[in-house]
Amino acid sequence: MYKIPLRIYLWCIAMCLPVIAFAQADTTLSLLNQTIKEKGRQYKQQPDFYKAHTFFLAKEWDSVMVYSMRQLEKNNSSEVEDYSRYFRATGFARKGLLDEALKEYAAISQQFDFYYKVRLSIGEILLEQNKFKLAIPYFKEIEALEDTPALGFKVSSVAHNLGLCYLHLGRFKEAEQCLFKGFKMQEKSKDTLALIGSYMDIATLYYEQYQDDKAIPNFIKAYELSKKVNDFALKQNAALNMAVVEENRENFTTALNYRKEYEAWRDSLNNRNKVWELAELEKKFAVAQKQKEVNQLISENKVKKAERDRLVYTSGILLVLIAVLIYFYRQKIKINRIIEAQKVKLNDLNAAKDRLFSIVSHDLRSSVSALKSSNAYLLQHYEQKEYEVLDEQLHNSSEIANSTYNLLDNLLNWALLQTKQAYFNMEALRLLPLLEQVAYNYTAIMHAKDIHFTIDVPARAVVFADRESLKLVLRNLLDNAIKYTAGGGLIKIDAAVKKDNKVQLSITDTGKGMTAEVIEEVLKESDVLINKKNGTGAGLGLQLCKSILLKNKGALAIESEPGKGTAMIITLQMPHKNG
Amino acid sequence: MDKLKVLVIEDTPAESDRLLAVLHANNFEVVGVAASFKDAMALYYSATPDIAIVDIFLNGNPEGITFAEAISAVPGAVKPFIFLTSSNDRQIFERAKLTHPFSFLLKPFNELEVLYAIEMAIEKFYGQHEVTEEETNATVSPEYLFIKKNKSLKKVAIADIVYIEVEERYCNVITQQEKFVVMISLNRIAEYLNPAVFFKTHRNFIINISHASEIIPSDNLILMQGGHKVTLSDKYKDFLKDTVIFK
Repeated sequence: MYKIPLRIYLWCIAMCLPVIAFAQADTTLSLLNQTIKEKGRQYKQQPDFYKAHTFFLAKEWDSVMVYSMRQLEKNNSSEVEDYSRYFRATGFARKGLLDEALKEYAAISQQFDFYYKVRLSIGEILLEQNKFKLAIPYFKEIEALEDTPALGFKVSSVAHNLGLCYLHLGRFKEAEQCLFKGFKMQEKSKDTLALIGSYMDIATLYYEQYQDDKAIPNFIKAYELSKKVNDFALKQNAALNMAVVEENRENFTTALNYRKEYEAWRDSLNNRNKVWELAELEKKFAVAQKQKEVNQLISENKVKKAERDRLVYTSGILLVLIAVLIYFYRQKIKINRIIEAQKVKLNDLNAAKDRLFSIVSHDLRSSVSALKSSNAYLLQHYEQKEYEVLDEQLHNSSEIANSTYNLLDNLLNWALLQTKQAYFNMEALRLLPLLEQVAYNYTAIMHAKDIHFTIDVPARAVVFADRESLKLVLRNLLDNAIKYTAGGGLIKIDAAVKKDNKVQLSITDTGKGMTAEVIEEVLKESDVLINKKNGTGAGLGLQLCKSILLKNKGALAIESEPGKGTAMIITLQMPHKNG
Repeated sequence: MDKLKVLVIEDTPAESDRLLAVLHANNFEVVGVAASFKDAMALYYSATPDIAIVDIFLNGNPEGITFAEAISAVPGAVKPFIFLTSSNDRQIFERAKLTHPFSFLLKPFNELEVLYAIEMAIEKFYGQHEVTEEETNATVSPEYLFIKKNKSLKKVAIADIVYIEVEERYCNVITQQEKFVVMISLNRIAEYLNPAVFFKTHRNFIINISHASEIIPSDNLILMQGGHKVTLSDKYKDFLKDTVIFK
């Protein structure tokens, strides 16, 4: 009654072998693989075939089946067709679709280079399907071939498989023959794993025939050998076989030990799987943990980045704001400065205006009133027919009128200059005639004051200036010189050519002179008429001279010593040689 | 030597009187005083002045400028003119300048300014206003030689010149009646003289052939009207071949 379970166990054992045969086939496929590689290169222009062969070599069976099917749908040469079918059949076999595999294998033509492989595969599949009778012819066919490494499989395993078929069919004699043939070949090639299988199968063969004496040593041999290998399934089976054998011999303790060992191996196999699973779980967990950490880091990074961006934007905006503020602040300062300058200028101009008014109201008024009283005086003496005093009084009147006119002229010109309404045209001018013309008006008064006047300027001297404004300057300077020079004094005008294409004109008098402070005040740069507290329109005249000379690209300098005299020095441009 | 003929265009009698006094005192001949644009045009063409002194404002309008424009528009009719104005107003000046006046006279003016303005106008008009050049006292025009004499300006008709003799930096200009010293180079004068009438007979002499009375090649001598004797050098004898004037 124990035989039934035993048989079942044996089935399990037997089933292991074809699988091993497949594994062996994989390692020794070099010739087939090389050929397939060559075929792949040869049919490179057929993309599906090429892909199928690539995946076949890579053992990616799903892809192999997809591309081989695509290739088969086309019209192919018989060679391509056979290879494609072979790929597909092998794929089916590896995926466990044995019926499909068989169909494909059967469809391969006999001209196929590895037709024996096809036959072998069919045999192995039939064996796996327990169609032992059908399988036998195939194995026999293969066994008849010569055993060379080039075949890519072991004849020993073929013999073994044939033996297995006989064993299952109960044809023990033939089974014994075949198994031993395989066993001997395995012994020769020292294939331990196959040997263990053989020992167990041989043992089973004898055990089935109740030849326990022959069977048991084989079981033991299998068991001993299994200890040396690492295959848990083999160890487990060997131990189970021993347990069954001992149980049948009623050595229950030993049997129990074997069974325990068997269970241990089974557990260890399971454990190994469990360990694997655990490890997998742990790995998954670790990966999940890592992923979590990574996610956290990513989110942290995001937050940091956002923070940094915010910081950058904020600081940028702040910078812009500061820049704008600074800009406006500077603008404000600039505007303030301009306003300040304008204020000062306005004050100055206001002062100038006041000065003008004071001149008009005081100087002009006094002049005109003097003229008025002079005229009244004249009239009075005329009526009384006192003619002798008239001459002097008339001269007096004329002088007052002259100075009043000069004052008015200066006022007018000053106003014109300020408002830029005067005609201004710089040209080449002969200096001597100009001086003579200006001096002409003063000949009489200089004669009257007994002033010795000389002009020492070469007739060829030429300056580049505006005629009328230059005349005005000369008039004023000469007027001043005469005014401040006592009777019997000297007034001299001379010119000297300086470097930089300039002419220096000096009007020198022997008048009362000026102090350094007065000179400084006169020459101070300003639009304002100097505020000489005691003075008359003289300040206006000099200021006008300065402004006009500046406009003529000239300059005014004063050399003076109180009590000895003054030299008014005008620097003027000369015309350019080419113009 | 003749007086320069001046046309005065001025509507204020006080001003024109002052101007006339100056002109008369300096031996100018005033051919007329016009007080309006119409009178001015009539006088300008009838009296043929050598120069016109024009007040810009006549009767409150800048008719002086209109006058200048009118005489400038006729080719060959224009003579030197001087603008007279009491205003230094820029706009008026800019407008007046467009008529290319030959001088400006700003009121109030003195004698010297008037004389200088006339002198400048003549120089400028005949294109000899080169202020940077050597000093000169004469201006040559196709008809007249204008000579500065004691501040005033005189004119000598070119046709009246008998001969010109160079003496150092000066030229002696001899007419039938007078003799002037002119500060101008011989070459400069020669530029303006008609080459059909004036000939160089010596490096120092230019003669007016129409005033020559006798040529004595053997003595290297030319006798001029008024008894003047001029040297004829061998180098310049060639001109005789080109002339057929033998009286």
